[in-house]
Amino acid sequence: MTRGIWTRETVVLMLLAAYVPLALFWLWYGGTEAAQRLGLAGLVLAFWNLVFLLARAQPISLAMAITALAIAMLAPEGLGVFRLALGISFGAVMGELVFGGWGRNVVNPATVALSFLGFGFPGYPWPEFLAPVAWATIPAALIGVATGAMPAGVVTSAALAAVGAVASGLLPPAVLPAAGIVLVLLVADPVTSATTLLGRWLNGALYVGLVTLFALGWQGADPVQYAVAAALLTSLAAPVLDEMALALWYAKRRRRHGQN
Amino acid sequence: MIDFTFRSGLTPRFPSPSPGLPEKDEVITEEAGLRASAGRAPRVSLDVEEGALVPQGAPVARLRKSPDVCFVAPMPVRVARIGLMQGHRLSEIVLFREAGGDVIRHDTSQADTAPALRHLMQVAGVWSWLGRRPFGGMPRPDEQPGAIFVMATDTTPLAPDPRQAIAGQEEAFGRGLHALTRLTDGPVFVCQQPGPALFDSAPNAGRLRTVSSGPRHPQGATGLRVHALFPATIERPVWDIHAEDVAQLGTLIATGYLPMRRLVSVGGEALREGRLVRTQPGADLRGLTHRFAQPGPRVILSGSPLDGHAARWLAPRHRQVTVLPRQAAGKPPHWLVAALTRSAMPKPVIPNAALDQAFGAALPAMAFVRALGSGDDDAAMKMGLLSLLEEDVALADYVLGGEAQLPEILRAMLDRIRTEFAA
Repeated sequence: MTRGIWTRETVVLMLLAAYVPLALFWLWYGGTEAAQRLGLAGLVLAFWNLVFLLARAQPISLAMAITALAIAMLAPEGLGVFRLALGISFGAVMGELVFGGWGRNVVNPATVALSFLGFGFPGYPWPEFLAPVAWATIPAALIGVATGAMPAGVVTSAALAAVGAVASGLLPPAVLPAAGIVLVLLVADPVTSATTLLGRWLNGALYVGLVTLFALGWQGADPVQYAVAAALLTSLAAPVLDEMALALWYAKRRRRHGQN
Repeated sequence: MIDFTFRSGLTPRFPSPSPGLPEKDEVITEEAGLRASAGRAPRVSLDVEEGALVPQGAPVARLRKSPDVCFVAPMPVRVARIGLMQGHRLSEIVLFREAGGDVIRHDTSQADTAPALRHLMQVAGVWSWLGRRPFGGMPRPDEQPGAIFVMATDTTPLAPDPRQAIAGQEEAFGRGLHALTRLTDGPVFVCQQPGPALFDSAPNAGRLRTVSSGPRHPQGATGLRVHALFPATIERPVWDIHAEDVAQLGTLIATGYLPMRRLVSVGGEALREGRLVRTQPGADLRGLTHRFAQPGPRVILSGSPLDGHAARWLAPRHRQVTVLPRQAAGKPPHWLVAALTRSAMPKPVIPNAALDQAFGAALPAMAFVRALGSGDDDAAMKMGLLSLLEEDVALADYVLGGEAQLPEILRAMLDRIRTEFAA
């Protein structure tokens, strides 16, 4: 019997293809230090995936490469190996593996790990991104949306909302590089973002709204810090957004067809 | 006129030689098999014994609980073998063609009243051509549908065009449609591709409604049309019937003879040439394909490449035969690999654009798949589960690589809901 291709690993491969430009630019400008962080994140994630493969027969997914890239790019700098490994372990295990692996998780493991590092070890500087790395988010988003692996509604509505927020002077343009990188790496994750049409549009807009709010009111925080915090809150709110969209859809159908 | 030609759905491509035009001559296979639709086999009582001669259209078996509903011979036959399972459940009845036999004429003098029409359809064997939602299968003999869907479009890959099937029978089709309006108090929807009207809706203009849908699958899938236009519920079931069957019902009412022919497409990768033939229901699939298939091992499916199943006889409501090369069974995985991967079935579904399209944007695809996967009956019912059958989620299952096992999960959920509500 012939079969379609959109299995879990195909989606992962499409996402990885989307992240290639971003990762290449980041590695090019980050040098060996960036490569070392990526290697460490990959190693810790591979260890925990192996543990869960052996203990609970949970198949390993290439998605851990995406998680490794997101953590390596966005984690605070100068943490040292031990703290970084601790944060990655917490994120991978509590954010993804205990739920049954990638595809069954409710929050992005990288978001959990980054929030853990940010709240657990305040005072370490968050990374800053050079302009070329930030520009690389645009091909990443385009490839992701074109292959259908990234939710188009989330990316589009976030882009539109960001344009609106910058134009109205609420969102300082200096925040945009970090917000864009967090958008493609954490918020536009197909598993943990909203899944209904309306929910996706709300999801993207909510993320930009939260970033704007933090930029206005959170004194002394770095752009990456509040982008990650906004990503965490957005992914926690995604099921609520879906429920809202579904409730509207049910109501519309009830009006048209009577019951159900 | 309601328009549904929105841009959604997919066009999955399956390699197949072109079927060309319908063949001039009818192709009646030497053998035929009577079997029930998919699902639990019905209990039957037999009208004939092995070796008996049966004219075309005469009953061979009937439902034990409602003896009016008959399974009839699709051609003049000699009964070769009767296969019953435990409890008189119909497995299959094998029939051999008998040259020069008779054709039964039914009494149609009172077919303009609803009970008589119902009786005529049941006795003549048209009843088993009806489908019902929720839960699928044949309608109960006394059931009142909320609406009837006449499918004059079929977007399944490699399916024959129903317009071609009823070409030249427009009058009979119209007569059949008007007869169907007597079976329900609700509307009768005719789902078709955009194009000229297939029938004259007077004098039932208010109840016969034409619905256009686009060319991509699943825009013309029965379940999604039902879901969009008249959701089936447990109290208010919905019937569906193919346009060609409606035309034959029209002929039956006019002449008393039920034509036992249907336009069937034979396609698939393992064929040298495709075919579009008029053959009998329950036709022998090997008879239809053996001179046209490529050499080598192959598997013959009754139904489309999406949802077909390997079979010897054409299933009651199927109009497609698919011949695929038989894939050699691969080497079993290493025991350790098997042990480490087996527990994670069915695999998680990752939302993607292809999945959204596979439900034709008619329902929140990912939320529905998650409700199916987690066994959330209530949410799935609210999203329209009761309008759907396995064939409607076959495309989504295909798109997801078959790892999500959607048709199996859907069937299990429907069975669970049926037992719950029957209690």
